[in-house]
Amino acid sequence: MQASLRRVSWIARVTFLEAVRQRFFAFLLVLGAAMALSSVSFRVFDFGHGELKFIADFGFGGMFLFGSVLAVVMTAQLFFSEMDNKTALTLLAKPLGRGEFLLGKFVGAWAVLGVFVAVLSGLLGLVLWAREQELLLLAEQSGKVPATFSASGLAQFALLQWLRLGVVASIVLAISAVARTFLYAVVVGAMAVVAGQLQWIAQDAVLKPSDSAAYDAVLWLTSRVIPNLQQFNIGDALVLGSTGVEGGVVFAVVLAGGAYMIAYVFLGALLFKRREI
Amino acid sequence: MNSAISVRRLTKDFRVGLRGLKLRAVDDVSLEIPRGQVYGLLGPNGCGKSTTLKIVLGLVSATAGEITILGCPSATPEARRRTGFLPEAPYFHKFLTGRELVRYCAQLSGVASADVASAVEDALGLAAMTEAADRPIGTYSKGMLQRIGFAQAVVHDPELVILDEPTAGVDPVGSAAIGRMIHAMRAKGKTVVLCSHLLGQVEQVCDRVAIMDRGKLVLEGRVEDVLSRRDRHVLTIEAMTPAAREAAEAALAAHGAKVTSVTHPRRSLEDLFRELVTGSRDA
Repeated sequence: MQASLRRVSWIARVTFLEAVRQRFFAFLLVLGAAMALSSVSFRVFDFGHGELKFIADFGFGGMFLFGSVLAVVMTAQLFFSEMDNKTALTLLAKPLGRGEFLLGKFVGAWAVLGVFVAVLSGLLGLVLWAREQELLLLAEQSGKVPATFSASGLAQFALLQWLRLGVVASIVLAISAVARTFLYAVVVGAMAVVAGQLQWIAQDAVLKPSDSAAYDAVLWLTSRVIPNLQQFNIGDALVLGSTGVEGGVVFAVVLAGGAYMIAYVFLGALLFKRREI
Repeated sequence: MNSAISVRRLTKDFRVGLRGLKLRAVDDVSLEIPRGQVYGLLGPNGCGKSTTLKIVLGLVSATAGEITILGCPSATPEARRRTGFLPEAPYFHKFLTGRELVRYCAQLSGVASADVASAVEDALGLAAMTEAADRPIGTYSKGMLQRIGFAQAVVHDPELVILDEPTAGVDPVGSAAIGRMIHAMRAKGKTVVLCSHLLGQVEQVCDRVAIMDRGKLVLEGRVEDVLSRRDRHVLTIEAMTPAAREAAEAALAAHGAKVTSVTHPRRSLEDLFRELVTGSRDA
């Protein structure tokens, strides 16, 4: 077990080093950071909502959009670079299990996504804090109730986003394990993200049984196989306290996300076992 | 149990195209590769030798047949733990240094943590890569890439080393260096399986050879046995005059032998090249 963990950690370490050297990662990180930092400049377009909410939404949007692109493209690229460059030949000829290899790739990619989320969340927190201080001063002068944000809520939101990106990365790895080309893995991975965003439709439909048992079965299966990526989007409630978050909700989302990640990495390992290198 | 690799009736079919047409890459091949020898696997491109090696290493599944490595079923972690592999035209992560790559491979190969540092230094020394070990792999020449590939293949001190085209694209000096590494492995009692197009080198370093063509094994045996022509002899004579030649031919004819050709012995271009440039630079 210890030897297995050591092999997984070494694959993850090299995967992480490879990923953070990619221009693509740096490009998306700079874009996301620029979006978070520039949100202050666009706050005049807050469409009647609170300034902090607008800034937070802008930052959440950057994290969602660029994070999703990174999770899909980078994860597939990290897998296919090993296949296409044939480094996988060297590695898999060693006493390294296919499952260990795939798990190592996942952990390395997820660690990079963690860096991405941490940097963007940190920057967003800084922007929110700076504007909050200005708004506190203005509120003191005008006697209004000041707008505030929750740093711990932002940290919880960052954790959920990291988990969401982990679920996406695990799905992309499972797809890559059977895909013959990088492009196929990216396209199907992107479709999976869209399906995950719309999964709540299937969940709602499950609650309204139809006359067709087959239809109900397909809906039920769809709602279980595809993770509901919308459940991670509770940033407003966590960071701005716009609506309350019931106790245990974050924990339940973490559990669901973790279960999907484990399931998809396991599925990927099973599929990869049959692949000819 | 004396075989390093035992291949019995190995067949591999690939499905190609949308209709899934069957392409037979390896056709009923049986091989016994003895331990402690250097074994050459030869054949033209596409003859199935690389596929055979991939099946041996568990990278590709066999359609039919049985393979054991050092007595263990192939494709098991135990078999791979005792095997080192240098793939054809190896590519490694360019951002790693040579030392980092070999350490990475040592960790994956199950070398005990306490022994990793010494194993890495030994492997780098064997591959003559100690001096360049701290340079990024992206700066290596083709010869150095092959040598660092050799180092990663032997870092865990395997009993069996499989080298797929280790000299492809490497100049004669680098090729000779790899030949020396193969000799060093044999001297340590290791089994080396060598896949190569450089027939001269195979002839020099291998104890046995097998030749494959169109997926089939067409010849197998000891190098001396398969190359020697028992009905012909070569005499190398110094200071031969026309009179001496006439006398020799007459003496041979008296015993029923006939001189069929008289030529000057030649050294190979590879020997000449190596003689002129060996030692002038590293590959």
